[in-house]
Amino acid sequence: MFLQHPVLIVIIPLIAAVITPVLGLWKKVLCYYWVVFVLALTTLASIDTLFAVLRDGTIHYQLGGWPAPFGIELVIDHLNGMMLVLITGISFLVSIYSYRTVESELPGKIDFFYSIFLLQVTGFLGIVITGDLFNLYVFLEIAALAGYALIAIGEDGAPWACFRYIVMGTIGASFYLLGVGYIYISTGSLNMADVHILLQDLQGSKVMTAAVAFIITGLAVKMALFPLHLWLPDAYTKAPSASSALIAPLMTKISLYVMIRILFGVFGTSWSIGMIPLTEILAWAGVIAIFGGAIMALAQTDFKRLLCYVVVAEVGYIVGGMGLANEPGMKGAILHILNDAVMTVGLFTVAGIIMHRAKSHKLSDLKDLFPKMPLTMTALVIIGLSIIGVPPTCGFFSKWYLIQGAVQAGQWAFVVALLFSSLVSVILFFRIFEIGYGFKSEDHAHSHDSGSATAIQEAPLSMLLPTMAIAIAILIIGFYNQTIVSNLINLAVPKL
Amino acid sequence: MNDFVLGHYNYWMFIGLMMIGFYAMMAKKNLIKKIIGMNIFQSAIILFYISTSAKRGGVSVPILEHAAGGHGSHGVDVAHYANPLPHVLMLTAIVVMVATLGVAVAVTLLIYKRYKTIEEDEILMKIKEGSSAPKELVDVRSQKDSIKLRTNIEYRTRNVEL
Amino acid sequence: MKIFSLISAVVVGVALIYGTMDMPEWGDPNSPASTHVSPYYLEHSIEHAATPNVVTTVLADYRGYDTLGETTVIFTAGIAVVLLLRKRRKTGGEDDE
Repeated sequence: MFLQHPVLIVIIPLIAAVITPVLGLWKKVLCYYWVVFVLALTTLASIDTLFAVLRDGTIHYQLGGWPAPFGIELVIDHLNGMMLVLITGISFLVSIYSYRTVESELPGKIDFFYSIFLLQVTGFLGIVITGDLFNLYVFLEIAALAGYALIAIGEDGAPWACFRYIVMGTIGASFYLLGVGYIYISTGSLNMADVHILLQDLQGSKVMTAAVAFIITGLAVKMALFPLHLWLPDAYTKAPSASSALIAPLMTKISLYVMIRILFGVFGTSWSIGMIPLTEILAWAGVIAIFGGAIMALAQTDFKRLLCYVVVAEVGYIVGGMGLANEPGMKGAILHILNDAVMTVGLFTVAGIIMHRAKSHKLSDLKDLFPKMPLTMTALVIIGLSIIGVPPTCGFFSKWYLIQGAVQAGQWAFVVALLFSSLVSVILFFRIFEIGYGFKSEDHAHSHDSGSATAIQEAPLSMLLPTMAIAIAILIIGFYNQTIVSNLINLAVPKL
Repeated sequence: MNDFVLGHYNYWMFIGLMMIGFYAMMAKKNLIKKIIGMNIFQSAIILFYISTSAKRGGVSVPILEHAAGGHGSHGVDVAHYANPLPHVLMLTAIVVMVATLGVAVAVTLLIYKRYKTIEEDEILMKIKEGSSAPKELVDVRSQKDSIKLRTNIEYRTRNVEL
Repeated sequence: MKIFSLISAVVVGVALIYGTMDMPEWGDPNSPASTHVSPYYLEHSIEHAATPNVVTTVLADYRGYDTLGETTVIFTAGIAVVLLLRKRRKTGGEDDE
C-alpha cells in the first residue's frame, strides 16, 4: 500500500499546518474543510500502518537512510501503532466537532487556530512514533508550545492558568532533557534500542539511577500525577472547548506512553523491577492519585473542573497498573490508555456542547438541560457508565484487568482505590443526572413546554455526530474487547 | 580526591547554576523574574551538555582540517577534535528555549493587559475579588487599586535598595 | 513558599550531584560519549557529505529530522504569538503585534 511510509504520518499534518494560514487569507471556512480532510488522510495512513505492524511485526524506518545509532529511527510496534490510531482518530473527530465552538468562542482567529491545531497533532504524532530520545524532546516541545497557545486564548483567566502551565511544563521537559543528558554521558548513544543494549552493563550505577529519577519526575509533571497536577484543572477548564477536547484526552496519555516506553523499553524490566523498588513507588503513586482525584472531584461546582479531576484520577489508574508489574496489570493499563482517551474526549465534547448552548459550564447551569438535549445526554449517560465501570462499556474491562492484576500482586490498597473511585464516579454522575433532569425542582412538568422560551435546543449536527460516534465507539470497544486484547494489547505488553 | 574534584567540578558548577534558576522560577513573585529563572535553568542545562564535549590536551573545534575530498577515515585523528554531537543537540535546545521564552512573554503581556499587574500575589487577589464581577467593573476597580499598588511597589523597591 | 522552593531546589541539586559521582571525568577522550557514535561522524563526514564542518553534517544529514523539528518549533512559536496577541478591531483599538 502506498501509505506505508511512517514518516508521512508526521509530515502530512506538518505541511498542512503551514498551508492553513495561506488558505485562511482566501476564505476562513476553507481552513475547517482542509483540516478535516488532512486529518482524515492521516487517520487512514495510521490505520494502514497499524495493519502493516499486525501483519509484519515491528517497523523500523531510518530517516534519510542513515543506519540506526548514527541517524534517527522511527520504530512502530503494537503499542505505538495503537497510540497512532488513537491520536489521529480522536483529533479527526474533534476537528469535525470544533467548527461551531471556534466560530462562537474565538471569532476572527479561525485560520491560526486551525494551524496550531494541526501543529499540536504533529507534536503528538512525532512523540509517539520516534525511536530516539532527543527527538522525543523536540516533539514534546512542539506539542507543549502548541498547547500553550491553544489554552491561553480561552475565557477570562486563561492566560494566568496558561502561565502556570508554562512554568510547570518547562520544568518537566527540562528534567526529561537532564535525564537524557545523563544517559548520553554514560552510554554515548541516543537511540532507544541501542541504549537498552548498552545499559545492561551499567546496572546499579548512580548516573542511571539519577537519570531514571529525573525522567520519571519530568514525565510525571507532564502527565499530572497527583501532587504535580496543580496546573491541570485551571488550564483545561479555562481553555476553549475545542482545545480542551483535543488536549485533555491526549497529552496525559502520551506522557504515560513515553513512561512505559522508557521504563520497560529503554531501561528494561530487570532495572525497573529488580534494582530499585520503582514499581512499588508507582503503585502507591497511583493509589494516592486515585484518592486525590476522586475526593477533589466531589468538591467541585463547575462541570468542566470536575471532569479535569476525573482525568487526574484516571491517570492514577494507569500509573498504578504499571506499578503492579505483572501481565494483567500491564494489559489493564494499556487497555485503559485506549479506553480513557475515548471516554475523556467524549466527556469534553459533551462539555463543549453544553458550553455552546447554555453558555456556561457550571453545574448549577445544567438545570433542566437533559430533556432539551436528549441525544447529547444519552451520550453522556453512556460515557458516565463507562467511567463507573459498568459492562458492556469499555471501562468495565480495563478495570477488571487492573483489579485482577492487583489481586495477583497483592496490592490490596490499589483494589480498594479502584472500587472507591467507582463509587465516587457513581455519586458524581448521578448528581449530574439529577441536576440535569431537574428532579429537585418543582416545575418539572413545565419544562416540557418551556422549550420554546429558551434558546437551548439540541446540539448542531457537526457537534452532535462526533459525540454520538464516540459513545458508539465506547460500546463497540466494549463488545469487541476480547478481539482487541488478544490481537493488539497482548502483543503490546512489554516482556516482563 | 583532588583528581575527582578536578574531573567533576564542571558538572557541579552547572548544577549550581541550574538550581539558582530553579529557585527563581518557583519562589519569585514577579512573572518576569520567573521567566528569567526559567531561562537561567535551561541555559545551565545547555552549558552542562556542551561541557561534556570537550577533550583534554588542546583539541580544536570539530571542523576537519584536511578538506581534500574522498579519503574518509584515513587522515582523521578523532582525539584531536571535540565531540560534535552535544553541540548539535544544544543548537536545537537553544532554539526551543528561545521559542518558549517568546510564548511565555506573550502570555505575560496578555496577563498584564487583563490585570494591570505582573505580581503573582496581586493577580491572585484580583482573581479572588473579581470572580463574580463583569469585566468592565473589574477594570474600573483595578484603576483605583493600581494607585494603591503603585505605592506598594515603591515601598518594596525602597526596601530592596536599602 | 520560599522555604519550600529552597528545600526542593537543594533536594534536586543533591540528587543531580549524586548522579554525577559515577560520571566519566571532564575531558576524558575515552569516555563513552566520545568513543561510541561521534568517531563515525568525524571519520565519515567528508566521505558522505563533502563538508569539513562536522556539526553541519550532523545537523543537516545524520540528524536532519531534529532540524525539521527545530524549524517547526520556531514556526509554532510564531503562529502562537500571532494567535495570542493580534487584535482585529474595526474601530481603532490597540494593535499589538
